[in-house]
Amino acid sequence: MTPLRRDIAASIALVAAMAVVPLIFDTRYVITQLTVFFIWGIVVTQWNLVLGVAGIFSLAQMALFAVGAYGTAMLAYYGGMAMVPAMVIASLATVGVSLVIGFACLRLKGPYVALLTLAIAQMLYLIVVNDTGCFTNPPSGCLPLLGGVRGFSRFGDLGFRDLLGSKWFVGHYYVGLGLLLVAQVFCAFLIRGPLGLAFRALRDNPGYAMSRGVGRLKYQLWVFGLSAFFTGLAGAFYVAHFGVVGPIVFSVSMLLFLLAMIVVGGMGTVWGPLLGAAVLMIADEGLREVGDWREIGLGLVLAGFVILLPRGLVGLRRR
Amino acid sequence: MTTTDPPLLVCDSVAKSFGSLTAVRQLSFTAGRGEILGVGGPNGAGKTTLFEVMSGLNPATSGRVLLEGRDITHASPEAICHAGIARTFQLNACFDSLTVRENVEVGAIFGRSGRMLPNLRPSPEMQQATDDALDLVGLSARQGLVAGSLPVLDRKLLMVAGAMATRPKLLLMDEPVGGLTHAETDLMMATVRRIAATGVTIILIEHVMRFLVALSDRVMILHHGERIYEGSAAGLVQDRRVIDVYLGEGASARLAALLREGRHEPA
Repeated sequence: MTPLRRDIAASIALVAAMAVVPLIFDTRYVITQLTVFFIWGIVVTQWNLVLGVAGIFSLAQMALFAVGAYGTAMLAYYGGMAMVPAMVIASLATVGVSLVIGFACLRLKGPYVALLTLAIAQMLYLIVVNDTGCFTNPPSGCLPLLGGVRGFSRFGDLGFRDLLGSKWFVGHYYVGLGLLLVAQVFCAFLIRGPLGLAFRALRDNPGYAMSRGVGRLKYQLWVFGLSAFFTGLAGAFYVAHFGVVGPIVFSVSMLLFLLAMIVVGGMGTVWGPLLGAAVLMIADEGLREVGDWREIGLGLVLAGFVILLPRGLVGLRRR
Repeated sequence: MTTTDPPLLVCDSVAKSFGSLTAVRQLSFTAGRGEILGVGGPNGAGKTTLFEVMSGLNPATSGRVLLEGRDITHASPEAICHAGIARTFQLNACFDSLTVRENVEVGAIFGRSGRMLPNLRPSPEMQQATDDALDLVGLSARQGLVAGSLPVLDRKLLMVAGAMATRPKLLLMDEPVGGLTHAETDLMMATVRRIAATGVTIILIEHVMRFLVALSDRVMILHHGERIYEGSAAGLVQDRRVIDVYLGEGASARLAALLREGRHEPA
């Protein structure tokens, strides 16, 4: 069996196993937490394409997630658009934004990419929270164009409340699971195929890759564009699931939490980011009681992995 | 090769300066189809810079580079690769985290054309090109190893295989035997002969004169970015300027002895 077929088989097996979970546990808390895991799982598998596979230290991923989330919310809120078309359009818009960011980063290397992308993300955050002029005046009070510090709510949902009644969250669970399956298989195809080879070649040695016919501009834009679609879609689904979006999606602590998932699981691998997401979400659950110590614990875990296990948990097996 | 063939590569008054430092001055030369052109000269003569110019990593300040009559002076490195020039590097460039086979596949998949999006998987033709290139340098048995773990000879051979997988018309080799032992040099020499036998034109830079004179149909010696000699390998040891600025009396005498021995060897 080729590695790609193995990955696809493993993805399907995992999804099949997850698909029976709601039949066994129907507590809302478990199902909802797993749905959030699917969302973060999609984001980290896509971020890993840029960060781990292509070796571009972009920190813009949560900003892209926010574009998908805010795009969906604004299309639905202002445009009255149904959720699904709004999600698709917002995801495509995310691809556009990502291509612009990819283009801006093209001449930069290593930490400079991290600085520029973080600056872009923070700039978007500031634009959102500093927007205080009233764009509309709904019954709940003044609402700036970009939602301001309050963000958006009450813009419709995926319709599972009508369909499943009080079990609506189970519908979201399956949508999230389906999206994760598609995103994960997409990643496996990309990493194991010729495009992934181009990304990895440019990561290892850009000058050498160019002289073997791999154009840096072209493939850097490909990796930014492709990874942005599912990231935007994850953001869009986040909005549809929670029914609310606010500037918290730009927060540095959330960015670090997701970055830590990739580092802990194993950068550049097919399964590392998902594994890292599972491990860190479980750890986070355990640390919920200890309040502020949670952030410190996360920092320690991150530092420990960078020093002791730079190839992550998946790297353990390959020793 | 007949003399009426137009040359494969033409460098016409090529110059490269870095600020006030001129690394290559007004250099004109050609390389014919199927020829092996050896390039020598002291450190800093501009040999590697010349390769940087031809391969597009550091385009010429003035002058023109033509491949099959097509101007490639300011083309990007990947476009020059697609046009048919492949290059190996003085430092052992590799994709360290990729396997030996993947290293060669990069050339086979991306070295031929600049399509917008590559195939979902390598075509049979690309796989064949990869197999052929691995066979050519004798790395087929080690194709599953991670390139970063290879010893120096294998890394140099891997670079050659990656270049050949692009199916070039012209192969530029920058010090292919620098740092290799006597026996390893012989192995590389046999590899270069196998490549030349397939009809690929080769330009090679080398300080190991034994290697340079044994393979080159024609030798060009550079000094301070200018050509001070162009002609047969045998003529090198008779040229006063080459002896003075590059070879020195001792090396020149040893090389003369080597050339005399060589004449008695079957070709």
